[in-house]
Amino acid sequence: MKQTVIPEEKVIEEVRRAIWEGLDIDPARVKAESSLVGELGAESLDFLDINYRLEQTFGIKTARHSVLEHMEEMFGEESAIDADGKLTEGAVKVLRLRFNNSSQLKPGMDMEELPGAVTVQSIADGIISILDSLPENCTNCGKQDWKIEKESRIQCGSCGEPAAFTNGDELIDEWLTQVQQSEKIF
Amino acid sequence: MEKTAFTDKVALVTGSSRGIGRAIALALARAGADVAVNHSKEGGTSQAKADEVCREIESFGRKAFPVQADIASKESVKAMFEAASNRYGRLDFLILNAARAPFKPLEKLREKEIRQLVDTNYIGNIFCIQAAVPMLESSGGKIVFVSSLGSRFYNPSYPLGSMKAAMESVVRDCAESLLPKGIWVNAVCGGIVKTDSFKVLRLYMEEIEHIPDNLCVTPEEIAETVVFLCGPGARAIRGQTIVVDNGLSNRLYRPAWIKGQDSK
Repeated sequence: MKQTVIPEEKVIEEVRRAIWEGLDIDPARVKAESSLVGELGAESLDFLDINYRLEQTFGIKTARHSVLEHMEEMFGEESAIDADGKLTEGAVKVLRLRFNNSSQLKPGMDMEELPGAVTVQSIADGIISILDSLPENCTNCGKQDWKIEKESRIQCGSCGEPAAFTNGDELIDEWLTQVQQSEKIF
Repeated sequence: MEKTAFTDKVALVTGSSRGIGRAIALALARAGADVAVNHSKEGGTSQAKADEVCREIESFGRKAFPVQADIASKESVKAMFEAASNRYGRLDFLILNAARAPFKPLEKLREKEIRQLVDTNYIGNIFCIQAAVPMLESSGGKIVFVSSLGSRFYNPSYPLGSMKAAMESVVRDCAESLLPKGIWVNAVCGGIVKTDSFKVLRLYMEEIEHIPDNLCVTPEEIAETVVFLCGPGARAIRGQTIVVDNGLSNRLYRPAWIKGQDSK
């Protein structure tokens, strides 16, 4: 369900902030379509830093494992990445569905080039999908009274319980299961 | 400026654009040394951060310069030591801090990842030692390796631990083999440090976030021990790995924090 407690513009603003603060760069450089690696100079540790900031900001748990790792777990070893570390056709099909048909993704591409496809918008999309797992009612008191606390945390206005979002890994698994049912990729 | 045991001496700290390496570079400079600040990649945040570390060192009156090198490449290591030599003409302290590793169980590592693990964290350090020996020999220099508790205790999804264990063994070996050249070799084994890498570890060990701060160490505390091992006070310490963990590994008794409750 699309949550409306935190407006999407606010989510994107917080994602941009996590990126410019994490990378210590001029906020004006961080645009929705900016590539984190190619344009903003992010390295692997920076992704974790940005991730950490976003988890703290929204009180969520982002995915610990990549979509590719989930594919391998679900559809078997080398279903997503072959022995040489290259993307399989199946992996590319799945990734294109997930990242708006990004033309950068091609079978045979080295998995190490993948972070190059991450943009500010794709990070924001991941955060939005977690926030959209907001349950209708509070899991503690059952009331439907979500409020924003500290600008970006959703909590129950009635009992004060923080919202229980589905974590990023569970959402990827749910999504992959749906994709497999409709597209029969593997 | 007051003269110290570190005045006019030169340190090279691998991987010192951030975290523990950065704290070591700054601490050695504060002690009086000039520092070559190594970072692995060109153009990214590590270069920007390395430049910042250098500016900070210069702000307290010491010399510093950033030097890019991926220690897994022998050519790159060679060029790094040539650059340091051209710049300062000597080397007194080699601090082996750089590390890079995936965070997943060993059985899930791909062949490429296993080779990269060994290339950077074992072979790369040995390349650095080999390249530095001639300069360290003429200065009666010191080598300090930065290890972690993963060398001796289990951490989930931490294949780097086995490389740290191998390097502690290399430290014991080199402490004797380089003794005739007058080079001292030791290691500092850090406990839980809340740096960037910690942000990775917390993804795999939820409990780690509940370890109270008084059982963690700061990068500065590790750095101070590195400075001590480089100084004259450590002249009788050779081939040792000094654990700096605020007592964490000494505790058999694990209080409630393991279940996620704050023990403070």
